Amino acid sequence: MNQVRIFGIGSPSGDDQAGWLTVDALLAGGMKAGDELVIEKLDRPGAGLIALLDNASWVILVDAMQSGGQPGWIQRYGVNDWPAYCQGLSGHGFGVLNALTLARELGSLPPRLDLYGIEIGGAIPGESPCAEVRASTQKLADIIADELCFISQALPAAAGSGDDGNATFHKTIIRK
Amino acid sequence: MGEQKRTVSIHVPVLARVEGEGALDLRIEDGDITELRLRIFEPPRFFEKFLEGRHYTEIPDMVARICGICPVAYQVTAAQALEKLFGVELDPWARDMRRVFYCGEWIQSHSLHIHLLAAPDFFGCDNAIELAKIAPEEVRRGLRIQALGNELMELFGARSVHPVGIRVGGFHGAPALSRVEEIREKLRAALPEAEALIRWAAGIAVPQDDQAFVSVAMRHAHDYAIEAGTIATSDGLLIEPEVFDEHFTEQQQAHSTALFGSYRGQPYLVGPLARLNLNHERLPERVKALLDETGLVLPSRNLFHSLVARALEILLALHEALRLLDAYRVPDSPAVPVSPRAGIAIGCTEAPRGLLWHRYEMDDEGRAVNARIVPPTSQNQARIEQDLRLSLLNFGLDHADGALRLHCEKVIRNYDPCISCATHFLRMKVERG
Repeated sequence: MNQVRIFGIGSPSGDDQAGWLTVDALLAGGMKAGDELVIEKLDRPGAGLIALLDNASWVILVDAMQSGGQPGWIQRYGVNDWPAYCQGLSGHGFGVLNALTLARELGSLPPRLDLYGIEIGGAIPGESPCAEVRASTQKLADIIADELCFISQALPAAAGSGDDGNATFHKTIIRK
Repeated sequence: MGEQKRTVSIHVPVLARVEGEGALDLRIEDGDITELRLRIFEPPRFFEKFLEGRHYTEIPDMVARICGICPVAYQVTAAQALEKLFGVELDPWARDMRRVFYCGEWIQSHSLHIHLLAAPDFFGCDNAIELAKIAPEEVRRGLRIQALGNELMELFGARSVHPVGIRVGGFHGAPALSRVEEIREKLRAALPEAEALIRWAAGIAVPQDDQAFVSVAMRHAHDYAIEAGTIATSDGLLIEPEVFDEHFTEQQQAHSTALFGSYRGQPYLVGPLARLNLNHERLPERVKALLDETGLVLPSRNLFHSLVARALEILLALHEALRLLDAYRVPDSPAVPVSPRAGIAIGCTEAPRGLLWHRYEMDDEGRAVNARIVPPTSQNQARIEQDLRLSLLNFGLDHADGALRLHCEKVIRNYDPCISCATHFLRMKVERG
């Protein structure tokens, strides 16, 4: 297995920190980044997101969304059901879905891509995220960690396999 | 023929998907343009006011927040202004690396603009995603070049958006030689890609437009001016940045919260085409050779040549970064000591979009008493309106509304104003008389 990358996307504005808080919760829960597992916070990466998908086997993106639902609602999207997109919170009019759509057009998507949206209320500079969003980021972190655990345990036994990549991956994501 | 001239009123209430808020009002009556206003109504950001009372050590990081695309320009200009006032002589290492840092910003900003914002127009595409269907290799190449620019910014600024590398007196840190060696190889590998980009850009059919305007850009004794120099105009003015105010004015217009710049009472142009018009003989030989290959005759009076001008400046920036990094050494210290003093600090550099001028009045503790920042977009605003009017007349007012709107968008995007950070931003409401 090549690299797994988890990116929490956000900005310092109120609930828009949802992606960052999910990364914080993953790290606080004991998940450790390493050569085979990248865990990063991104601040409105624009088209730069495309380069971050290169040579990854599995990318998990967590971003805030506003779809009219209750703050804290978590939705997972596969590559074939990305939501319709009007105007994002990202700067310069080139948001996450623009970048992913362009990456798909260029054949640059990883073999597996999971996009999680956390419904938010306000994205107001200087404000703290609301309690519902905070709770959901912890919940989503648990979901992601459990899935990584499950997948890693399903991989061939690492020790002595000669596959250093799997070994590192296996060791890295066992957190509980 | 006795053809009835139509009346068209185009109101664009909100320029959507843009960085900044603006609108375009265009009214055509009896074959004449009776109203044309590019309205920028983004609420004032009060940035200059925020800077009052701030210590000089905070200013470079604060002004970097003004723009997510060109933060280096703001940082370098502010640091340069304060260093001049404080009598700081930068270490040659820091002087060179400021230019390299700035080159990174030119590379990423220009590549973003060419591939994601401007080029789709000329291929009949609504956006870069559609462009990627017909020119995937060119878009991939553009993204690679943009990413390299970002990487160069990260090398000195720790991150490419709102970097934090610059301090008054130099840098906060110096990259390790191993990282520089790595990026040097990438820069070298990008040279043929940038040359191919120039050839591609020069091959894009653009409207023929011929307009008289004054180009304004910085000029340096030896180099293609980026982070240092005097201010030159195409009608012969050559001044120090300290007297910018005596020749260039800013005026408020009722329809815009951005100020309108003027020179001798007239609009003027800043940005890549103005720079190329004034400084093309300062280009490195290899870039000159590519310029000759394009057949572009300079000075150009066609703003649609801005796209190829950006492509040429990408190659220039790659060459400059490589030249300076080839001599890279880790300095004893990335910054020299600074002692503040009271007075007026003035700085001027070439942001990707054009001339950027800063003025700070500082007290003897090193705190800003007041600040004034003149960005390129406000300097170009009057020129954009003038260009739209002339270019639309040249294009022909009898075109369909959609064609008129697209032409307006193309004209505005030539300037790469912050409000152009979207691919198609004019929503029209058309009224016919």
